[in-house]
Amino acid sequence: MASATHAAVTAPDPDVVHGGHGYATNTGISNTKLGMWLFLGSECLLFGGLISTYLLYRHPAPGTGPAPSELYDIPFTSITSFVLLMSSLTMVLAVSALEGGDHFKFRLWTVATALLGSVFISGQVYEFTAFVHEGMGFTTNRSSSAFFTLTGFHGVHVTIGIVMLVSLLLFSLRGHLPRERAEVVEVVGLYWHFVDIVWILIFTVVYLIPG
Amino acid sequence: MATAHGTTDMIVHDADDPDVNRNRQYVLVAAILAALTALEVATYLMPKDLQHTAVFAVALCVLMTIKFVTVTLFFMHLKFDKRFLTVAFYSALALAVAVYLAVLATFRFFWPADQMIPR
Amino acid sequence: MSDLVPASPTGTGTLALPEGPSLTKPSSPLGVFSRPTTKTGWRAWVTTIDHKRIGIMYGAAALVFFIIGGCEALLIRAQLWAPKQHLLSEEMYNQVFTMHGTTMVFLVVMPIGAAFANYLMPLQIGARDVAFPRINAFSVWAFIFGGIFLNSSWLLGGGADGGWFNYAPNSGVLYSPTHGIDFWNLGLIITGVASLTGAVNLIVTVLNMRAPGMGLMKMPVFTWMTLVTQFLLLFAIPVLTAAQFLLMFDRLFGANFFNIKEGANPLLWENLFWVFGHPEVYLMILPAFGLVSDMLPVFSRKPIFGYPFIVFSGVAIGFMGWGVWAHHMFVSGIGPVSVTVFSLTTMFIAVPTGVKILNWTATMWGGKLRFDTPLLFCCGLITMFTIGGLSGVTHSVAPADTQQTDTYYIVAHFHYVLFGGAFFGFMGGFYFYWPKVFGYRLNETLGKWNFWVMLLGFNLTFGPMHILGLQGMARRYASYLPEDGFTFWNKLATIGAFTLATSVAIFLFNIFYSKVKAKDLPPPGPDPWDARTIEWMIPSPTPEYNFDPIPTVTTLDDFWYRKYGETEDGRVVRIAATEDVAQPVHDAHVHLPSPSYWPIVTAFGLPIVAYGLIFSLWLCIPGGLIVIAGLYGWATEHPDDPEDATHHVPGPDHLEGDDSDAEHTGDAGEAEKEVVPVG
Repeated sequence: MASATHAAVTAPDPDVVHGGHGYATNTGISNTKLGMWLFLGSECLLFGGLISTYLLYRHPAPGTGPAPSELYDIPFTSITSFVLLMSSLTMVLAVSALEGGDHFKFRLWTVATALLGSVFISGQVYEFTAFVHEGMGFTTNRSSSAFFTLTGFHGVHVTIGIVMLVSLLLFSLRGHLPRERAEVVEVVGLYWHFVDIVWILIFTVVYLIPG
Repeated sequence: MATAHGTTDMIVHDADDPDVNRNRQYVLVAAILAALTALEVATYLMPKDLQHTAVFAVALCVLMTIKFVTVTLFFMHLKFDKRFLTVAFYSALALAVAVYLAVLATFRFFWPADQMIPR
Repeated sequence: MSDLVPASPTGTGTLALPEGPSLTKPSSPLGVFSRPTTKTGWRAWVTTIDHKRIGIMYGAAALVFFIIGGCEALLIRAQLWAPKQHLLSEEMYNQVFTMHGTTMVFLVVMPIGAAFANYLMPLQIGARDVAFPRINAFSVWAFIFGGIFLNSSWLLGGGADGGWFNYAPNSGVLYSPTHGIDFWNLGLIITGVASLTGAVNLIVTVLNMRAPGMGLMKMPVFTWMTLVTQFLLLFAIPVLTAAQFLLMFDRLFGANFFNIKEGANPLLWENLFWVFGHPEVYLMILPAFGLVSDMLPVFSRKPIFGYPFIVFSGVAIGFMGWGVWAHHMFVSGIGPVSVTVFSLTTMFIAVPTGVKILNWTATMWGGKLRFDTPLLFCCGLITMFTIGGLSGVTHSVAPADTQQTDTYYIVAHFHYVLFGGAFFGFMGGFYFYWPKVFGYRLNETLGKWNFWVMLLGFNLTFGPMHILGLQGMARRYASYLPEDGFTFWNKLATIGAFTLATSVAIFLFNIFYSKVKAKDLPPPGPDPWDARTIEWMIPSPTPEYNFDPIPTVTTLDDFWYRKYGETEDGRVVRIAATEDVAQPVHDAHVHLPSPSYWPIVTAFGLPIVAYGLIFSLWLCIPGGLIVIAGLYGWATEHPDDPEDATHHVPGPDHLEGDDSDAEHTGDAGEAEKEVVPVG
């Protein structure tokens, strides 16, 4: 009987934004969405710290090894950046599909997003391995530590995003992701897009702007 | 649908499926982002001495900002959601930018002759 | 069950999905565990997601850590009783003062703020719980496990020993080879996660879950201060986390962020730490400011003077606190331009605090003062914080600070603002809210003894430190010489410290004594203090469902204006008896979210990962698996246990014969009383 009043089961009233609790929120924004945006706000402070550290340490002390900027393969990184950017498109198409009730398209676009994200990560792994072979590892000098920490943090965020996408896919396949719960996917999408815009920042500041 | 008013590029008919319109808009936005990225990457092919100028860095930052704002406004739906979300997120971003610019300034980062962490 | 399910938009009778089972059928998460249903005993506490129980756990854990940190303080004071003592070796002394500071800041003051915020804020806004009850439970367990993990360092090779701020490169493995700083680092990353998730939770709660009619400018001051505090946490904790990851990578994986040989700059740590550290001290004091702002009007029988100013000055402190951090670094070599800038910004930040002091004083001025224990502690905060604030203003003058920094003058300053300020405010809050939380009042006579002994002990301990500092006694030195001339004031400070300990003992005794005596006394009822805000219109102790019905709020201090009105010539007159406007104890059939195992399970994995990082990376695997399993169990768990006995009985959502609303329109009859967690 209790589950009969679960928010997801009640016919949604389009004029009332449900806080996820079955009643209206003061701001008109759902709890989950507001919570995710606040979290993303805090992530700005986290990545800002790591980017600042990289900017301060971008040149290694003389004689301590190569600078990351000497080893960049801009064409290669451009391709992986483009891949991640396109994954934002597939993500938003996935959300749109589920909101429209098209579960097949939703699963298709979700798989596409996870795949594109995985391609990006593979590209990162390849790039990092190449750097190590060229004499720049995590502990080589202050610049390499800063570079790998910043991009590594980003990569971990992408990976967690991929895990969440795959989880959503599995929930959907088991029938636990009806159209009424599309907001969960939208919120995961917000996280995914944020990870993308952080990369937009990193790609420009770290890779494209020289010395 | 709010998205129908989002851009003048869209021809909206009442009979159109709003989902298709919205999806078309997303693809268009993605195309713009791809073009901007191509532009950014093309700067890699510019002569090296041009690349080391302040103008170059500023231009790249401008492109970066346009991409950033575009993704937040359209893909993250800020343009069509309650204004409070935009205020909340962009305030956080403004705080981060201000604080970290101040940190960099404390390290004399913007005065090449005086930098605390030299080349 | 299907006949109770309303028609879905697709027009089918039940919510049939294209594939898989219907959502109305409870899914067994991982096929093993259903949601717990216990309401009593330790299992109820371990699985609770009720904000009130979580608040009590924050407070209880904080008091335990307070005893630990207090013992560390007594060890320091015992060591410094006389010159050249060897009660503690230098190495031990470094660990004791580091852990004392770390414990008091992160495991006492912050969690007590969280305790009040969690218990009180939903009540002050008329909510039934926070936005994400399970995340709330996760926060408290992550805090508790993180605090235990941090203190386990004492048994596993020694505590951290680089000061509570652990400056680089001293914090690196070269100069601090023991594991102590790793415990500090990882423990605080875990408690940082707790704080961050708590911040998201409480902000969403305040913004989204206020009772009908409660606009932002009708919220009690404590709720406002909580909101500002949580925003500060939200933005400051990630900066600390970033710095701590850099330190962790240096210490555990050989990175070069603070490696001088690789050209690292120690100021990177200092800057990142204090960018966090300064908002940190404001988020420690703001909850106490909020408590005082809500208590003073009750004991002055006057509304708070200048409510908008109190609110906006709190917000201003939150903003301005981001621009002053390098005043902790005046002598670190940042150069005269930076020093000047931060000196100026620090002077400016005294202004909003001054506004508050003025407003509090004006609130009391001309009021009918009732010097019960809570008011005594409020006066204590106002006076002691003013002293601490004045010494703070002297620090803002950079040339003067050059003399004061790293001396006991600074120690005096921050103890006056943190202990004399925040902790006194919390003590007042304990006495004030004890009946609401536990259903019995703390003894008044013991309370007054508690206050005066604490005030005396506190000033005896930290007052002399102003003098010692200006005489040149340096911080963090395990001993001093007889010819230094510091002996007399140090002896006084040590006597003061033990006096303080006595006052804490009085407080603890008061808790047990009052509980025993409560059986012989009449229950305090919903409103023992004749208070102003709506948490006082519900029974004491607070019933599980908080409000029934959720009140409709029309004004600031809404509860007060249900009891009192004003005559034409401005006299305050009683218009309703408390029993008529307060909500009686009754059997409300309100559906509440079910308890859950998964928050504590998920939190439990974190210290295991941390132990693994320090001792053996293999341990990280089971720790990580526990976290992941916890998260999946959480995500797949049914939102409510349909077998739960507390089932929703549809019916009128107002009390029978409720005609107390002479001046208020009816309270919100909610169609939907259910609180279903999504977090």
